Formats: sequence, C-alpha cells, structure tokens
Amino acid sequence: MSLSSLTKPWQPMSYGFLDASAKREIRRKMLKAVAVPGCQMPYASREVPMARGWGTGGLQVSLTLINPKTCVKVIDQGADDSVNAASIRRFLAQVSGAPTTLDTLKANLIQSRHRIPEEKLTAHQTLVLQVPNPEPLRSVQPNMSIARQMHGDADYGRMWLQLYEQIVRSGRVMQGASYPAMVNGRHVMTPSPIPRWDVPKLHMAQHLTILSAGREKRIYAVPPHTRVEPLVFDDVPYRVEDHGDLTCHRSGARGFFMNEIPLPDGSAAHEISDSEYGVKTIRTRDGEAVETGDTWYINGLIEDAT
Amino acid sequence: MQPVPQPTADETRANASFAALLSALSRPGQIQTLPTSGEAGVIEALLDRECRVACADPRLLPQVMQTGALIAEIPQADHVFLGQMTTAAPLNDICIGSDLYPDAGATVVVNATFDNGVRLGLTGPGIDGETTVQIAGLPADFWQLRKQRIRYPMGFDLFLLDGARVMGLPRSTTLEVL
Repeated sequence: MSLSSLTKPWQPMSYGFLDASAKREIRRKMLKAVAVPGCQMPYASREVPMARGWGTGGLQVSLTLINPKTCVKVIDQGADDSVNAASIRRFLAQVSGAPTTLDTLKANLIQSRHRIPEEKLTAHQTLVLQVPNPEPLRSVQPNMSIARQMHGDADYGRMWLQLYEQIVRSGRVMQGASYPAMVNGRHVMTPSPIPRWDVPKLHMAQHLTILSAGREKRIYAVPPHTRVEPLVFDDVPYRVEDHGDLTCHRSGARGFFMNEIPLPDGSAAHEISDSEYGVKTIRTRDGEAVETGDTWYINGLIEDAT
Repeated sequence: MQPVPQPTADETRANASFAALLSALSRPGQIQTLPTSGEAGVIEALLDRECRVACADPRLLPQVMQTGALIAEIPQADHVFLGQMTTAAPLNDICIGSDLYPDAGATVVVNATFDNGVRLGLTGPGIDGETTVQIAGLPADFWQLRKQRIRYPMGFDLFLLDGARVMGLPRSTTLEVL
C-alpha cells in the first residue's frame, strides 16, 4: 500500500460543492430517513455559502443527489423567480453543471420552500423541501430531549390538545402552515410550512419527498405511496384553505392556491401562487400550445387518493 | 464565466450507486441497477471513517478498510455485509437502534438471487397496495427472523444484491411468505 493509493488527486473544488465525506453522511441519513418515514434523523449539516435558515438543509440534499443529468427546479413560496429561488438554482447549476428548468414536468429534482407544485409529481421526480423547524412538538414541548422521547413513545396527545384549544378559542383549527401530519401511522411530522392546501398532495404520492432542516440539523422523508394524514378529530374534518372559488386576475383560472394582492381600495386581487403553473394558464388562455400536466386539484377539489 | 465542474469517475459511480440505493429503499420490491456488480458500489457510496462495519465476506475487507471504516463485530456495526448467507443466525445480533434513535439501526447487505425461490408479498410505505417478489439464496428461517427482530421503528434495513441488481427492504416493509 502506498500513500498515493490512499489519497485522491487534487481538485480545485469537489463536484457539487460538498466534499465526499459530507455527501456520504447525508446519504446514510437519507436512507435511514426513508426507512422510517416521518422520523427526524440527526445529521451534521455542513457549511454552505448561504446563511443557515435560507434553505441550507434542502441545498445539501440537492447537492448530494445532483449529477450533470439532473434537471433542477427551485421554488420559493410557489415562485421560481424570487431572489432565494433564483440564487439557489444558479448555485446548483454552477457547482454541478446540471440543467435547470422552471417547468415542473421537466424537472427531476425540485427543491422547494413552502409550496408543492400544482401539477402532479411522478415517480421519477424527487421533491426536496426546506424546513425551518422540523419538530412538530416544539410548541407543546420546547425541550428537544423530551420531545424525542415523546416521538419514541408515540405520545402525541398534546398535539390534539393544541388543536382542540384552537377550536375552543376560535371555532376552528387556526394552524395555517406546517399542519402536523401522521406519517405511516406512527410518526407525527411537520410537513414544512406548506399551506394546508398542499398537505394532501403528500398522501400516497407517486414521488419521494425529502425534508431537510439545515439549521436544526434534521432530515426526514416521505417515501412514495405512504400515508400522510393530517391530525384531525373525527367530527371536525380537515379543511384546506378556501381558495377553490377564487379566480386568478391574470389568467382567469380558478381552483388553485392563490396569492392575495391587496388593492388600494381595500379589496384584494388574487393570482396563482405556483408561478410557472400561472404562466402556463395565461399561455393556454392566449391560445398557445402548452404542455400542462395533471393537477392535484381539479375545480378546487382534490381527488381522494385512498 | 466559470468552467462547468465535471464529476470524477469515483463521484459519478458513488452518485449513481446512491441513486439506485435510495430508489430501491423508497420503492421496496422494485429492482434497481447499480453501476458496478456486488457490494463495491454500496461501500463506495456510503462508507467512511465514521462507520463501523462488520464484514462476513473476507474478499470485501480490503475495500472496506481502504475507506477508513472501523472493522467491528456485528452487534456494534452500523453497516453489516453478510455476503452469501448459510445460516440466518447473524440476524440475531444486528443492532436495531432504539426508539429514541431509530437511525442507529444497521444497514444490512446480503447476496441473494431474484426471480426464483420463495414468493413474498410486500406491503408498506413505498409500495402501491401490495407487490410480490421472488427471492432465493437465503437461509430458510431468514424471513421469520427478520420479522422477529424488527420492532418498528426499531429495526434494520436490508439491501439484497444479485450481481449489479439491488432490492431494498426497509424495516417499514411488512413481509408475508406466500
């Protein structure tokens, strides 16, 4: 055995920015995360050239999965063109040479902050969600060690108590984003701050979802065809946002998750939150031939996957 | 304009191996293809000096040791390479993690043959309804022991290798011998 056989040739930079040992560690944790759906697996969370809390968790997962053939799409709150999404997309392309796209149908790897695209994802796509706070129990148990014990015991009574208190105080469940969901009937996870509208898209989906929190150093996953059931009471059904009958003021499309745009007279206009899907609906209205995929919601209603 | 980085041959192999492993584990029962035959791809993609590895097949030892991983006994190992199994007894010693840290459960790599032998019905996350697979080349009581050892979320995750073909069976998969 010689010294040169134990080392690798010098490179100016590792492919995909992360060094090989960081990638191996994330790979091992991703496998464990997939094996126990919804269970938070600790990982090291390396430094990336971006401040913690701006999507570093998702970025590290994307950098591990990426290769020159991966077509990447990055979304920030539905938009492909926000500063955060554009800079992450540019960074991923710069360090990997991977092609980028805005079209959900063409992407293999979709890194997203706080939204899931309106068009259905398929088995060859992977969704990476950026997670600010991976611990669904934090609001009821700030001590991480005790929260971990509660996950170990499947002791989720306080989560229902929290929802019950919201109903007693306000007449309805007030949890807007990060609605806690039971995964595979065992672990409660926070689906990252996606709106309630998006949580049913994870249930029995075709695609693999990986959720990664860079600042909190936790990674968890929802494999395809896995039960993701929002916590509800039998007599208080799960409700998504009432966006089903809102109309997009730019394309005239109805039945999708909308951004609210306040107008000077105090009223509000709405536009489709998934920016690329919004562009597609505008092009379709203008008579262009646009390839639009199947959407999860049809006429504002989601089909029941079960 | 910066030059576009090119992955090295190692990096390309490790990336493709991991893609196959992740795909195999997230869709149990579906067979994926590794870029290289045998355990080499798994070792290259996953192992380094942070791992403790138990290795029943001495032919794998040089490559495992080159990664810097610590060679350990099966109960302490987080990655277990059992090669061609003659008895299912090693499954009794494999670390299954704890309720607090299910990720401490080991990753187990075993050689098997697909498409003949015992018929198994699989259900669980990653499987649309139920799927049937055929696996040969494992000891008779292997599946019985796996069932006994796994106390979800505690348990171990299996990769079955047939040449370059790989099938993943995570601990979340419920398995019935048909």
